[in-house]
Amino acid sequence: MNSSSLNVLVSPPLISTSTPTLKAFHRPNFSSKPSKRISCMHDPSINLNFGSKSNPKHDFPVSFATAFVEAPLGTTTTTTTSSDKLHLLVSEFRSLAEPIDRVKRLLSYATALAPLDDSARVPANRVTGCTTQVWLEIKVDELGRMRFKADSDSEISKGFCSCLIWILDGAKPEEVMGVRGEDLSEMNVGVHGKVQSRVNTWHNVLMSMQKRTKALVGDADVVHREGDRSAPHQHNLLFDYVNGRSYVESASKVHRDYSISVLPLGYDFTI
Amino acid sequence: MEGVAMKLPSFKSLAPTAISVASTFSIRRSLSFARRSSSLSAATITADSEPVSLGHRARKDFRILHQEVNGSKLVYLDSAATSQKPAAVLEALQNYYEFYNSNVHRGIHYLSAKATDEFELARKKVARFINASDSREIVFTRNATEAINLVAYSWGLSNLKPGDEVILTVAEHHSCIVPWQIVSQKTGAVLKFVTLNEDEVPDIDMLREMISEKTKLVAVHHVSNVLASSLPIEEIVVWAHEVGAKVLVDACQSVPHMVVDVQKLNADFLVASSHKMCGPTGIGFLYGKSDLLLAMPPFLGGGEMISDVFLDHSTYAEPPSRFEAGTPAIGEAIALGAACDYLSDIGMPKIHEYEVELAKYLYETLASVPDVRIYGPRPSESVQRAALCSFNVEGLHPTDLATFLDQQHGVAIRSGHHCAQPLHRYLGVNASARASLYFYNTKEDVDSFIVALADTVSFFNSFK
Repeated sequence: MNSSSLNVLVSPPLISTSTPTLKAFHRPNFSSKPSKRISCMHDPSINLNFGSKSNPKHDFPVSFATAFVEAPLGTTTTTTTSSDKLHLLVSEFRSLAEPIDRVKRLLSYATALAPLDDSARVPANRVTGCTTQVWLEIKVDELGRMRFKADSDSEISKGFCSCLIWILDGAKPEEVMGVRGEDLSEMNVGVHGKVQSRVNTWHNVLMSMQKRTKALVGDADVVHREGDRSAPHQHNLLFDYVNGRSYVESASKVHRDYSISVLPLGYDFTI
Repeated sequence: MEGVAMKLPSFKSLAPTAISVASTFSIRRSLSFARRSSSLSAATITADSEPVSLGHRARKDFRILHQEVNGSKLVYLDSAATSQKPAAVLEALQNYYEFYNSNVHRGIHYLSAKATDEFELARKKVARFINASDSREIVFTRNATEAINLVAYSWGLSNLKPGDEVILTVAEHHSCIVPWQIVSQKTGAVLKFVTLNEDEVPDIDMLREMISEKTKLVAVHHVSNVLASSLPIEEIVVWAHEVGAKVLVDACQSVPHMVVDVQKLNADFLVASSHKMCGPTGIGFLYGKSDLLLAMPPFLGGGEMISDVFLDHSTYAEPPSRFEAGTPAIGEAIALGAACDYLSDIGMPKIHEYEVELAKYLYETLASVPDVRIYGPRPSESVQRAALCSFNVEGLHPTDLATFLDQQHGVAIRSGHHCAQPLHRYLGVNASARASLYFYNTKEDVDSFIVALADTVSFFNSFK
């Protein structure tokens, strides 16, 4: 399989391979274009040998560097809303029937994630509640758009972050707040069933994006639809197990915060 | 391969497999290896010379193990998180609800009397299982976590003073850390933590040195759910008692897998969960020495635990009732009793012997996979590991690993901190993967796991 055909296959739906920036994005006509793109992307000759254990080696050239780029400053993306991008991403993942293909797609997005400076890997940037470590850096640019960068120690989580950033980087604060957790559960990547804890990474990263967007931009400007959560949990050790320091001394550092939920995402708790 | 017909298994004591229709209502103190007839056919001597392992034989009793997940056969390697339940236990639970469900202890009528008898019989079975001398030393709780909280709030709040010390290890489960944090905050007691030595087991010498006149309690695990190591509880109890300290043993990973004799250990408190030992969820127990329980104030208040209730005060019942407020998990307790019977029928020494072998096999095959780092001690002449391995693969997040193993191979392992965040922090990792076995696992399960693991590693490597 030559790499050029692969580029067509695996690049995200609305970025053509010749122009890597979002400037080239055109607003899709949902009735006809997505299906056309989906058939392009779904290559039946993709190696589906995963079921057979005899051939574990997967030569899968990874060259998606052109796929994801931060929207360069000054680029207008007014024709593209985050909502559109979300729908397109959902369609893309839905088109992949085999779970393994969804995992592969997610992992390929992970490799395309823009790197995060070491200086950004601080506790304040940690997204809490994830089973993996996720760091999220967020700022507002001079046009008032939200800019995100993220990283994780898990490749699958990196894939999630990569998707979220593709959807939300460069978006207006209202768009960020408008994405709902339920929309993400449609991605259904890597896990099965509707109620999954693995997807909490999506949810937690999105929550973090929204919470911090709100904090940066101020309540007045922003419509918050997801419901409120308190400040990020301070992950303090409640004791020092090196001899000498007693527990009682550290007690004052306890930060009372109950913002993490381990309840399943997307589950309908109403009676 | 599970054969239905089998040769006489090579037990140490060659008792022929007797067919007994085990009655759930009678006490069976079986020293021979009698089996339930419902699950196994008569021992038929075949031409097949291969003795069938305990794992193969036991699997028949666990219908849940015979299914496919995501298109592959289920390989369940998460028994340290919760065990599967044999048909006999499920039958006992069903039987209770179908034939004699009734509230216990105060009823006069037939069903109530029967339920009470069975409930108290279950208490006896648990007591016998851990060799407690009196079944009143068994307090039924919701699980081991609640049992530890019971000791923390009831014994701890009334016995710990500012400056008193509670010794724990960094390898404790959260349930044996957090309650002590809460109580020490309230009482002013101080928590001290034993760290690991170079073999990645809690440093016993350090523990011994830490014990001082100020020590009031030593709360430690018997078998670690991450490191697979065991602590010398008998010795620890001796050292603690020398200074007048009490010892609480978290036996969640030991009671299901080996003979635990509380009289021999001489522990003051011991906790375990039913759901890790083939029993249902929703029930666990605290073993406490009679004199200790007698002196402890109640934990939860309500019905059952009182003697007389007035408007302005109440008097309390004797232990264990004092600590069992409200209607207990009656059916679950009875099913736990059935689990104790089931395990005793096989014989805990037999189970332990099988698991030691399986543990070695798991460790050796896992260690042979490149870039795998297993936590805990290396097995040797003097060190026996439990049948579990927490590990990490270089460059692969354990959660990604577990996801892929489940998705593509039907292998169920756990990933995360296994309720031992301080331990992981100490080891310098955020999370680990853990494969844990029980007597219904086989060598083939381990083989499937290793093959799946190798496939997973190469899949993720192909993205690098």
